[in-house]
Amino acid sequence: MFDTLRPLWPLILRYRWHYVIGSLCIIASQALKLQIPRFFWGTLGELKQAGDLPAAEARELILWASIWILASALLIAPIRTASRILILGSSRRLSADLLADVFERMLALAPSFYTRNPTGQVMSRAINDREYVRSLGGAVFMYMAETGVLYAITVPLMLLIDWQLALMALAPYPIFLVLARRIALRIQTLSRAAQNALGEISEKVDESLSGQMVIKTLNLEDADLERFRLRSEHYRALNLSVTKWRALLISLMMGLALLSTLLVLGVGGSRVVSGDLDFGEFGVLLTYLAWLAVPTRTLGFVISSLRRGTSAFERLREILDHDLELFHTETGTEHEVRGGSLRVQNLSVTFPALVDEPRLAGSEVQDHVGSERDVPRRVLDDVSFEVPAGTTTAIVGHTGSGKSVLARVLARQLEVDPGAVFIDDQDLTEVPLDVLRAQIGYVPQDAFLFSEPLHDNVALGNPDATEAEVLAALEGAQFAEDLDQLPEGLRTLVGERGVNLSGGQRQRTALARVLLLSPRLLILDDTLSAVDTRTSEAILEHLRPFAAERTTILIAHRLSSVAHADQILVLEEGRVVERGNHEELLALDGRYASTWRLQERSAHDAERAARLEAELADLPAPGADPEATS
Amino acid sequence: MSAREVPPKDEHRVAFDATIARRLWVYLAPHQRWVWISFGLLLFTSVLGLAQPFLMKLALDRYVAPTPEYAGDGSLDGFGWLLVVMFACALGELLGRAIQTYTLTLGGQNALLDLRLAVFRHLQRLSSSFFDRTPIGRLIGRVTTDIESLNEMFASGVVTILGDLVNMLAILGILFWMDWRLTLISLVAAPVLVLTTLWIRGRVRLAYQTMVTKRSAMNAYLHEQSAGMPLVQAFRREDRTRAAFDAINADLCEAQLGTVWWESVLSALTDMLSSVTMALILWYGGGLALKGLGMSELQADLAGAVTLGTLVAFLQYMDRFFGPLNELSLKYTVMQSAMTAAARIFGLLDQTAVTPEPDQPATPGPAAGAIRFEGVTFGYGEGTPVIHDLSFEVAPGERVAFVGATGAGKSTLLKLLTRLYDVDAGRITLDGFDVRELGVKDLRTRIGIVPQDVFLFSGNILENIRLGHPEITEDVARAAARDLHLERITDRLPGGLMEPVRERGSNLSSGERQLIAFARVLAVAPPVLALDEATSNVDSEMEHLLQEAVARVMQGRTSLIIAHRLSTIRDVDRIVVMHKGRLVEEGTHDELMAKRGFFWRLHQLQYAGSEDGGDA
Ligand SMILES: Nc1ncnc2c1ncn2[C@@H]1O[C@H](COP(=O)(O)OP(=O)(O)OP(=O)(O)O)[C@@H](O)[C@H]1O
Ligand SMILES: Nc1ncnc2c1ncn2[C@@H]1O[C@H](COP(=O)(O)OP(=O)(O)OP(=O)(O)O)[C@@H](O)[C@H]1O
Ligand SMILES: [Mg+2]
Repeated sequence: MFDTLRPLWPLILRYRWHYVIGSLCIIASQALKLQIPRFFWGTLGELKQAGDLPAAEARELILWASIWILASALLIAPIRTASRILILGSSRRLSADLLADVFERMLALAPSFYTRNPTGQVMSRAINDREYVRSLGGAVFMYMAETGVLYAITVPLMLLIDWQLALMALAPYPIFLVLARRIALRIQTLSRAAQNALGEISEKVDESLSGQMVIKTLNLEDADLERFRLRSEHYRALNLSVTKWRALLISLMMGLALLSTLLVLGVGGSRVVSGDLDFGEFGVLLTYLAWLAVPTRTLGFVISSLRRGTSAFERLREILDHDLELFHTETGTEHEVRGGSLRVQNLSVTFPALVDEPRLAGSEVQDHVGSERDVPRRVLDDVSFEVPAGTTTAIVGHTGSGKSVLARVLARQLEVDPGAVFIDDQDLTEVPLDVLRAQIGYVPQDAFLFSEPLHDNVALGNPDATEAEVLAALEGAQFAEDLDQLPEGLRTLVGERGVNLSGGQRQRTALARVLLLSPRLLILDDTLSAVDTRTSEAILEHLRPFAAERTTILIAHRLSSVAHADQILVLEEGRVVERGNHEELLALDGRYASTWRLQERSAHDAERAARLEAELADLPAPGADPEATS
Repeated sequence: MSAREVPPKDEHRVAFDATIARRLWVYLAPHQRWVWISFGLLLFTSVLGLAQPFLMKLALDRYVAPTPEYAGDGSLDGFGWLLVVMFACALGELLGRAIQTYTLTLGGQNALLDLRLAVFRHLQRLSSSFFDRTPIGRLIGRVTTDIESLNEMFASGVVTILGDLVNMLAILGILFWMDWRLTLISLVAAPVLVLTTLWIRGRVRLAYQTMVTKRSAMNAYLHEQSAGMPLVQAFRREDRTRAAFDAINADLCEAQLGTVWWESVLSALTDMLSSVTMALILWYGGGLALKGLGMSELQADLAGAVTLGTLVAFLQYMDRFFGPLNELSLKYTVMQSAMTAAARIFGLLDQTAVTPEPDQPATPGPAAGAIRFEGVTFGYGEGTPVIHDLSFEVAPGERVAFVGATGAGKSTLLKLLTRLYDVDAGRITLDGFDVRELGVKDLRTRIGIVPQDVFLFSGNILENIRLGHPEITEDVARAAARDLHLERITDRLPGGLMEPVRERGSNLSSGERQLIAFARVLAVAPPVLALDEATSNVDSEMEHLLQEAVARVMQGRTSLIIAHRLSTIRDVDRIVVMHKGRLVEEGTHDELMAKRGFFWRLHQLQYAGSEDGGDA
């Protein structure tokens, strides 16, 4: 357990003074507090002994004792407040630091981590598990310190008063602690399962809310609720088991306290009767035991919380210790990307069997038939090609042929072993990420927007861009026309993932933000699929001079938009089956040519319709000023 | 700056705790059996607990420090028995407590399960426009973290407060019975505490409200950033993201420190009170005991004094009185956090942005598939509408294509048709019935939409096709997949149709995802089919095959097709051209082509335009 928690140390040490002073405060307040029964019982004992004490003297005795108690109480209050504020406060800060560490890791984790792991799972760790870890540095620490101090002070005192009796009182402790340990281990396992289940719930909610439109239109509400119910019930069951064991543990500790008290009462009581033991001392002993009863009971709580915190921390460590998966080989030489030529050499990409993927732990709920795929899958097979700086290479191929995977590799979104991809003749993995990313403009197939104003989404890579630059980038992506349709123009909030924009608008925003950067290497993965022909023609038209100065990788299904490329690669099931320029490929009369013919077949129609569509799109909106077009 | 937008208005103010408690009770009521059992056990254990100091007093007064009437006797016979009784009491208390905790948690967990499901169900009913403005991360927090706070409340036994109160009252009774003067004197400090606590209460509540708001903000931020992290990295935004995160994190920490402060003060105060009371007992009770020294209990009573045993018992009862009080102050913060969370949850449940269902849904016969838009105007928010006074008609069995520049409002038409959003003006009818008169479920069963944004559920491919259609057997689903040539993609996957699907289908290519979403809708052959860019990421060969398959499946049924690739709409009966939310042209291919003169002029214009573009 303590091994698991070790990485927590540096964080705790950051607040060591808080903890040290807080602990001192605890010691002080406990020591003071322990004085109170001594005053109380000491006085009572004296009263009993000296029945013939002059009344006035006895009164004075009582008065002074009361004043002492009062004084201690008043002294304890601020000390106690301070100890709590110091320790509980540090635990909050610690948990904030821990979250910052987690986030730092998240910033560094490879993109593939995020494709593999559901957002809900990541969030559940950062939010829910962190709470349990926090309690380790707060409540648990405090109770432990309090209990420890209490034991450290009372046990010797008890031994001093009557060592035999004291030993007898403490005799049951070891047995109980051994039992407690076993229960605690059980609690740890169960807590972990419960936390996994909670993560699964958060994953499910995420999925259901992200897909709410689809769920609605397809009437999937009931089916989806069922899936949610299954997870929730599983979680409930686990929580109940945890409670069961916790209750057992706490009872056990209460039983322990009880046994001690009774032993002292029975044995000590008889000895008071026989005169071997002073009544006052007996009373103090009893009170101490009663005081120990509370922390002994909380010991149950402490142990189980410790276990739960540990299991939560284990889950957090899945992120904290996660392999970054982005190699960077330090070569010592300066790297920079100048021309941006690319060379791919015998590149193969194999996705591991899904069962072997390093994923964050989820729960064992399996509500779907079928098992996890247990064979690895090769999606790119021995791909080699070269892209001279400043040229355009198009990649085409059937659905699932590996185009996007290739694009992700080139954009360093997907890690491959060194020796396969070279940029300006430097191994991709040797170029520092920062240098590389500054020169790569990658527009993924699925445009992701942040729930920020449109302006900020475009200026993502260069927040200092002027408004004119942003507008120019939007112009290049043919977005400018849509601006007046948006309620607040550049300031329009685009919603989560851009839900407030149309599909084509989202794609064009994603494109604009790369145009703004003007990188050396441009990778466009089917970027215009949701854009109409006229607009996409206009975009390509605009891109041509832009692309001419850059190395460009263009992925598309519409062959007409790749026909002008310097080189076209045809992928089939992860292999390059044809390569050449448009004319060469047509002459080859292979896959490319047949697809071209297929698209050509409707060319007559298409051309007609394209013209029609293009021109109608230029129509002024009815009611608009007709002069504008005539 | 903008990632920390002002929260939307689901942050209701915490109303009176009583209202919230009443609403929580609604969920607890069906499981109240467990709560009552637990309560009964609580009383039982309380009695056992209360008996113990009394037994202790007996032991002391009779055996250990015998008062005169028992003195001299010296026999310890009864002592052993007394110990046995004490042991039995304590053991009973202990077991009772364990069972009590469990039953209470059982009731609580059942109630929370119901609540969680209720929240989820409500989220399902909320209209799409609600999700346009509410970050999902925030909502995830409602269903997980906030309900966890309530769980914490049950787990730490805040519900036992009621029992604690009963217990404290009983103790108070006993104390008064034992010696009312001593009790009164001991309690003089109590009002001070009560007043201070009441004052602090307000602070604590405020602190928690701030904290929960900040926590929601954190949830939303983390959610979005972890979804968009690859982009953050690709655009080297780490520093800014980190800065934004740090700001939110600091805010949250600040708010939490606020709660810690008040918590600490409150707890120290109660603790102090118990010590002060001890001093009072000693001061006043000590005097009385002094007077009663050497007297029997009866004598002491008559003389207005107390025995030592009484004094000890008194002290122990006081301890038992303060125990729960102390815990109450601890539980108070737990409860405050739970109440604040509950207020958020109920705030969400009170959201009324639900698609209204007709009271008496119309029940048209089997759908023919006639669709009419009559003067439809619609806007997503205030400001300019995105659909302006749009009217058109689709006859049953007709295939109509919608074309137009991106952002023209094509997808919006389909969202209106299935009532993801409701029109602002005009109406939409299906087979002569206003869509708002039909049951929402019924309407959506009649119209099968393949939306532009594909969404797959985690599971496997076959399951995604069958999801929500228990009537589709596995064989039917396989057959449908075959009809749609899905094997062209599944054959390449090691798992075939059983290939696992990860969150949002992230382990599949975009085209593969689209095809699965396509099959999902086509497998049930809906009366009206609407395709919104359903094959935009699919290769042409596959698209071609699909078109034929769709033509076969949808034979004689109405289909609406939105596509940018013109090859996709080759065979439609009619084309509707939209521009900026208006219908600008409508007709068959040839009809539209016939308007030559108009085209020709536009063509010239466009030609000139593109030359300009080239120069720029
Ligand atoms: N993370 C992953 N794990 C396992 N398999 C994957 C993963 N990502 C993609 N694949 C598989 O790799 C193959 C190639 O995917 P890719 O996205 O490159 O196809 P594509 O050529 O871009 O297709 P499309 O035209 O549909 O976009 C697909 O069959 C897909 O199922
Ligand atoms: N949820 C929303 N909230 C606010 N505005 C929206 C929302 N969805 C779409 N819009 C706006 O409504 C207009 C029409 O969008 P719609 O999605 O209907 O376009 P579309 O014709 O389907 O475009 P595309 O071809 O790009 O998919 C766009 O200007 C868009 O910005
Ligand atoms: Mg792809």
